[in-house]
Amino acid sequence: MSKYILFNILQVLVVMLFSPLAMGVLNRLKEIVQSKKGPSILQPYFDLLKLFQKDEVIPEESTWIFRVTPYIVFMAPIFVTLLIPVLTSYPLFWAFMSDMVGAGFVLALGGFFAVLAAIDTSNPYGAIGASRTRMVSFLAEPVFLIVFFTVSFVAGSTIPYIVQQKWVTPVSNFFEPSHILLLFAFVMLILAEKGRIPVDNPSGHFELAMIEESKDLEYSGVGAALMKWGGWMKFFVLMIIFSNVLFSPWGLASALGWGAILLAIPLVLIKVFIFILFLVVIESSLAKLRLFRISEFLSAAFVIAVIAMLASIFE
Amino acid sequence: MQVLQSTTPLITNLNALAGGLFIISAFGIVATRQIRASLNFFIIQSLLLASSAFLLGIEPFSLDLFAVGGINIITKVWFMPMLLKRMVKEEIYTRREVTQVFNIPTSLILALILTILAYFISLPWIQTQRVLSIIHVNVPVGLAGLFLGAYTLVARREAVPQLLGLLAMENGAFFAGVAIAPDLPLIAELALAFDILMLTFVIGILTRTVNEHIGTTSVGTLSELKEGVKK
Amino acid sequence: MILILFVSIVLVAALVSSFSKNDSRMATYITLLSSIITLGLSVHIALDIVFSSSHTIVAIADWVALNALGALILLLVSFVYFTASIFSIGYMRFEKPGSFRTYYINFNLFVFSMLIIPLIQEPNSVWIAVELTTLFSVLLVGFENTSAAIEAAWKYIVLTIMGAAIALLGFLILYWAARQVGIEHYTWDSLLIAAPYMSPVLLKASFVFILVGFGAKVGLVPLHTWLPDAHSQAPSPVCALLSGVETTAILYVILRLLPIVAAASAVDVNTWLIVVGLISVGSAAFLLLQVKDFKRLFAFSTVEHMGIILVAFGLGGNLAHIAAILQIIGHAITKSFAFYAAGGVLLLMGTREISKVRGLIRKSPVSAIALLLGGLAIAGAPPFALFLSEFSIIKAGLFKGEYITVGLLVIFIAIAFFAIMNHVSRMVFGRDDAKSSIDNKSYSLPISSKITFAIAFIPIIAFGLYIPEVLYKLTILAAATVGGW
Repeated sequence: MSKYILFNILQVLVVMLFSPLAMGVLNRLKEIVQSKKGPSILQPYFDLLKLFQKDEVIPEESTWIFRVTPYIVFMAPIFVTLLIPVLTSYPLFWAFMSDMVGAGFVLALGGFFAVLAAIDTSNPYGAIGASRTRMVSFLAEPVFLIVFFTVSFVAGSTIPYIVQQKWVTPVSNFFEPSHILLLFAFVMLILAEKGRIPVDNPSGHFELAMIEESKDLEYSGVGAALMKWGGWMKFFVLMIIFSNVLFSPWGLASALGWGAILLAIPLVLIKVFIFILFLVVIESSLAKLRLFRISEFLSAAFVIAVIAMLASIFE
Repeated sequence: MQVLQSTTPLITNLNALAGGLFIISAFGIVATRQIRASLNFFIIQSLLLASSAFLLGIEPFSLDLFAVGGINIITKVWFMPMLLKRMVKEEIYTRREVTQVFNIPTSLILALILTILAYFISLPWIQTQRVLSIIHVNVPVGLAGLFLGAYTLVARREAVPQLLGLLAMENGAFFAGVAIAPDLPLIAELALAFDILMLTFVIGILTRTVNEHIGTTSVGTLSELKEGVKK
Repeated sequence: MILILFVSIVLVAALVSSFSKNDSRMATYITLLSSIITLGLSVHIALDIVFSSSHTIVAIADWVALNALGALILLLVSFVYFTASIFSIGYMRFEKPGSFRTYYINFNLFVFSMLIIPLIQEPNSVWIAVELTTLFSVLLVGFENTSAAIEAAWKYIVLTIMGAAIALLGFLILYWAARQVGIEHYTWDSLLIAAPYMSPVLLKASFVFILVGFGAKVGLVPLHTWLPDAHSQAPSPVCALLSGVETTAILYVILRLLPIVAAASAVDVNTWLIVVGLISVGSAAFLLLQVKDFKRLFAFSTVEHMGIILVAFGLGGNLAHIAAILQIIGHAITKSFAFYAAGGVLLLMGTREISKVRGLIRKSPVSAIALLLGGLAIAGAPPFALFLSEFSIIKAGLFKGEYITVGLLVIFIAIAFFAIMNHVSRMVFGRDDAKSSIDNKSYSLPISSKITFAIAFIPIIAFGLYIPEVLYKLTILAAATVGGW
């Protein structure tokens, strides 16, 4: 019993500790692909340390929303981590607290408060970015829903641990059309939710064109650190969901011992790294879409998800 | 002939995967702006058709289906695009169709509705006998391919995508045919392949002539012959 | 063997034409010769079928054979081939000298593709033959090489191939249904035998797809929109072939399918046929009122007549079927005549617009009378052939008790009659006002056109008064193959 609780907490620690590393590796790889040298992969850690030591400056017109948001943004992915299979293939202590739909809502809660805070700052760039973020999320909602519904329909449950089993046994299930098409749709969803190319340029500094980055604009000090870290954790969590639940549910600890768990950590990191590689390829080969073409991108994702649903219903 | 043959689950799933990707490539033909992209999606669709034929021919072993797949690859994946590129000027391929009948998200949603319609229409057919599960996949996908190809004809105004829509319709009919008529005489297959090549040839000639006369290949906007239009 | 000989004559003509030079007349005369031989052979074949005991001719078992309906179609195709070859002599000389080679190669190949349709017994190969008819006629439709002609050719090929793809799925479903029952040799006849055992759902589905798909080529609404454009732009002899016999040959395919599907559910089939037919007749009738181009006029009239034929088959019963076959015969010969007349007018006046042609009777009595007679005949006036068949259809319908259908049919035919006669009489008798003085080409019609008028007209009036015994027997046999359900 206590082992379950301990492993669950270990999961959270893993996510907290390794998400900056994932971002660092991603940035470094992107630069390497462009024949540049790139920052050190530990750079995000140094950024966090620096930010924690700085003073905070807060806009005068902001309300309690502005102050509360960094904590919500930081806590939301942590809650979700409790629910999904990160290191183990058997459910842990808090696994049945909520299912995938609930996890989606909790993540959305973080995003919602971030948007509110961006408007709250009364900085016009914040409001522009907030409305764009809402547009993208609004278009991505149907895709999320269809993906979740299909996955639950096929697996017969909405708990991620049970879903994960369905795709592993037997191996031929991996190639089910609904599965592969869902993978496509979910990748497009991750690209949209986290503001990667082709939806948004994460390394742009031009405020008029920012979508995701605009929500951290006004923060400083501890608030900025928490916002950034929360964003990285959300990204890491989405990648974990993709890798462990949908794509390759192998390499997770199936035994209850410490050895198995500790072995699972590097395996999970390797899977995340493979996804990062894939992401770098996409980011380096596509161009950013114009704003109103994002709706085409997301409707393509929607259509793929619906076909996955059709394929699974009419099996 | 009502024997319930069984193929391995792996093949069934791979075939179903080919079916899903087939529909997606049909969407791609409808919804991409650039003509070259439409052509690429068509090539992908033909490849998927051939792979479905190959998969279904593995067990129970049928050389006919392998031949069908092979013929498909030779004509639609290699020869037809080459022929088209020779007959129609290179410059046409880089054209983007800026004005479409519907914008892309609407097009996609309409195409989705057509796909769902195809699934519903083919439901009573599949229930006529204790069928193989591959027919459950191939017939709706084939019918959806037919509808989507027809929709491409309606929604696109350029000449080459209209040709691709026609050929996509035949691809769809074939995709269903691979499952429901696997032992169609080989002569029929060869004649069909020849027919597709002739079609491409003729349409290539027409496209070239249209381009010379009118300057664009936007055939959907030709309207000299409508009633009530004063010449 | 005679069947193989039959089609090879036309192939030889095509081959020889390909060797002729563009401006030589050799191709013309070779085609004429081949059309005469073909006509003779087809009459011989028809007599064979009528007087033989089994009423079929078999060349290659399971692949090439002919029944009574097929013989009738062959006869009609050969006749129109013959008259079109004569008309082409004069027409081509005036319209487009210097492109004989392309024209005659396509012309002969087109006729060849139509002739093989009734001969093939395996349904999937019939589909291929139908595709061939489209492919060979496209370049003929776009022959004039103007932008309007190219547009018409484009619409033609796109709509018909779309229909063919839909029909392909229908044929594949038919094959599927046949395989479920375990048919050994896949021919029309074996399908007929196995029909009661095949799954009705699949049969009906395949019928709908084939009706809609091939209905595009036959000219049924809603896929008929290529018809008026193609007919207004193609050269007149080609129009005669397209409207008169190509539609009929494709209709043959649908008719072969009818008794097979009727075994599944006759009531449904009848309903569909009547509905589709009435929609076609109705739309054509109303479209005829506002047409502006006299070749389009005759094209819409084709849509109308195809609708009438379909309604006749949908009424059911032997009487209606015989009337429908008579309508097929009448339509083929009358429509070709009408297009020859229209071609004559086009040659003389140089324009296709109705409003620009007035007082034709004063300019050229021959073409005026031809146009007038053509208009009357195609509208269904007595004493021409179409009047007899339409009257029989109405009689059969009343006999069956389908009052609504017959009533609608009569109304639509009357509207069409009024529309056609309105336009034609204005063209022939109308007052000469300033709009219509474009007779810059004021020569008289070529001799060959006049000969064509004469030859093509004979059957129209003859069959309106008295149908020869042999032909009538052939009609009854043909109707029997469709089934007397």
